[in-house]
Amino acid sequence: MNNNLKNKNFLLRLLGDPKYQFISIPIFAIICSLIVSAIIILIVGQNPLTAYKGLMQGAGILAKDKYASFQGQPTDFMETLDKMTPMLFAALAVAIALRAGLFNIGVSGQMLIAGFVATITIGYSRQMSPFLAKPLVALIGMIIGALAGGLIGFFKIKFNINEVVSSIMLNYIYQYVFSYFINTKYIDPVTRQSRNIGANARLTLMQMEIGSYKMRIPIFFLVAIIVAIILYFFMNRTSQGLEISSIGFNSDAAQYAGIDVNRRLLHVMLISGALAGLAGVTYYLGYQPSILPKSLSSIGFDSIAVSLLGNNNPIGIIFSSFLITVIDRGATYMRSAAGVEQEIAALMSGIILLFSAMGVYMRQKFAALLGKNRMRG
Amino acid sequence: MLNNIIIDGLSFALPLLIIAIGGIYSERSGITNLALEGLLGFGAFCGGLFMAFLSSSFTAAQVPVYLSLIVAALGGALYASLFAVLCVVFKANQVISGVVINILSVALTGFLTRQINQNFFNQPSDKFQIGVFPRVSVPFLKDIPVLGGFFSNFYVFEVIILLLLAITWYLLYKTRFGMHLRACGDNPQSVDAAGIEVNQVRFKAVLISGALSGIGGMCFAYSISANFSPTVYMGAGFLAIAALIFGNWRIMPTFVACLIFGFARSAGNEIGKAMKLSSSFFDLTMTLPYVLTLLLLIFFSDTNKAPRALGEIYDKGKR
Repeated sequence: MNNNLKNKNFLLRLLGDPKYQFISIPIFAIICSLIVSAIIILIVGQNPLTAYKGLMQGAGILAKDKYASFQGQPTDFMETLDKMTPMLFAALAVAIALRAGLFNIGVSGQMLIAGFVATITIGYSRQMSPFLAKPLVALIGMIIGALAGGLIGFFKIKFNINEVVSSIMLNYIYQYVFSYFINTKYIDPVTRQSRNIGANARLTLMQMEIGSYKMRIPIFFLVAIIVAIILYFFMNRTSQGLEISSIGFNSDAAQYAGIDVNRRLLHVMLISGALAGLAGVTYYLGYQPSILPKSLSSIGFDSIAVSLLGNNNPIGIIFSSFLITVIDRGATYMRSAAGVEQEIAALMSGIILLFSAMGVYMRQKFAALLGKNRMRG
Repeated sequence: MLNNIIIDGLSFALPLLIIAIGGIYSERSGITNLALEGLLGFGAFCGGLFMAFLSSSFTAAQVPVYLSLIVAALGGALYASLFAVLCVVFKANQVISGVVINILSVALTGFLTRQINQNFFNQPSDKFQIGVFPRVSVPFLKDIPVLGGFFSNFYVFEVIILLLLAITWYLLYKTRFGMHLRACGDNPQSVDAAGIEVNQVRFKAVLISGALSGIGGMCFAYSISANFSPTVYMGAGFLAIAALIFGNWRIMPTFVACLIFGFARSAGNEIGKAMKLSSSFFDLTMTLPYVLTLLLLIFFSDTNKAPRALGEIYDKGKR
């Protein structure tokens, strides 16, 4: 009895103490959603454990029962990291804008323009040395992305155009204009996508033989992690970063305190756009070798949720983008291994996000419960 | 050709309008609503499900088509209650909740459509057949040159939307409830001081928003194709947000914004057709409404002012 009470207290302290909440609350949210998803899978008449196992196997976290030659768990895992790279960049782009109170819903548009420009300038120049082409692709992606993001910031501070509206309009404009150029100039008649870029410019090394496996190597994965860490220090430890946060809390007060709000907002959108641009090149010239006309990648929208799941904290985002990518990547295999419809995976991500949206409420609630408990004790 | 521009323009602009009005209700009460896309999709899903079940047991009479709009409204409101619980009861960040609601809506409707099709209709499909919505013309008036297009070959739901426009306008601007709602978005503390529950008003506003979006979504499902499928998530919810911000969070200017949008869209299409351009060139004319909106915004958004308490979680203790 006494022991039971102690256990309960321990759990409550974990969930209620602000010191641990940054990690305990997201994990609690994930556990809740795994339970809810398990119930749904049970209702559909399948075994949730097999489904979860299939998910992990598909993403390369657990070993599958059998593999084709040159394939193995590392192959799957590297592909997961490859898909995670653009997601991580995109979520960081969302996070820094949100810090300043700006909602960059245009990440997918900025990804597209960066990817397109990098594709037609460097992607098709097959003679260029890979050691020159790859950094150039990243550089062009960053610059074009920054310009596209900066344009939204410029509209905002110069003409008072709400960033949500201008992003939405620009998303559509990019989508249609580049579709026109791809369809008229760069189309591959078989795949109905843009022609594949050369291997020299691709930011993912394909079919690399390591040991007994042939696998993808996402060159920019480590870069993305490093960028996340730098961004963490920039946002929390530098005066510029703190100025940005103060604008997000209350832009009038920030202005009053002598911060040049407009200039900072423009900077934020430039940085956010540059990150989105990196997401664009690692997606369209990395994970994929081509661009599908007249469509935006869903990464731009999913990244908003990923950023939220990671508490808008760059380090947290590393983990949340990994989690969401695992669910996404494992879905296909889960279907074949456990007979669960692929749509369940998307539903699972949605439920995880739903619970994590309640994170703030849970924090307060558990903190209040803990406070009450302490008073009694 | 002019007739086509008017007919297609209206059949796009009016569903967009009803969704935007839904957004206005929510945002004027102080709840930032990025969830419109998800709400309209879920509403259309419910309407589609209703039609699928009816058409499997009854032969199609005209009545269910109208009933499906009501079901869509109820479905939209039901799903909106989840959004309301998130941002009113759980005090979650409204922007984030909106995005989550959208993502969940796409996932949920996709999953449910497939499951239901498999279990009840024995077919692996991600669509519901919903039939066609009747189109009518007004005799005599339709023959007026130029303006005739407004009276010919329109969907009946367009008339319903115009009626709803009048009702919602009256409700928002001329009734006590509407005044409370608007006050909640500008100065919730004063509403509270007057003895009215801010959160209750906001909850209702979000439900209305869901119902109107549901209707709009169903109308789009009818006008895009004769079935409910994931194509209903084509970004109309985001366009509606753009329209309502462009319309300065007021119903009539938003109406104008939607009309500009609809006509620019159909004009772009018709110009492409008339010039006998290749299909890829259509992509360029399709940008017309978006470019136009952006340009208009550059000239007209100086005076744009959001409701003062928009996006703020209401906290009684705060002054």
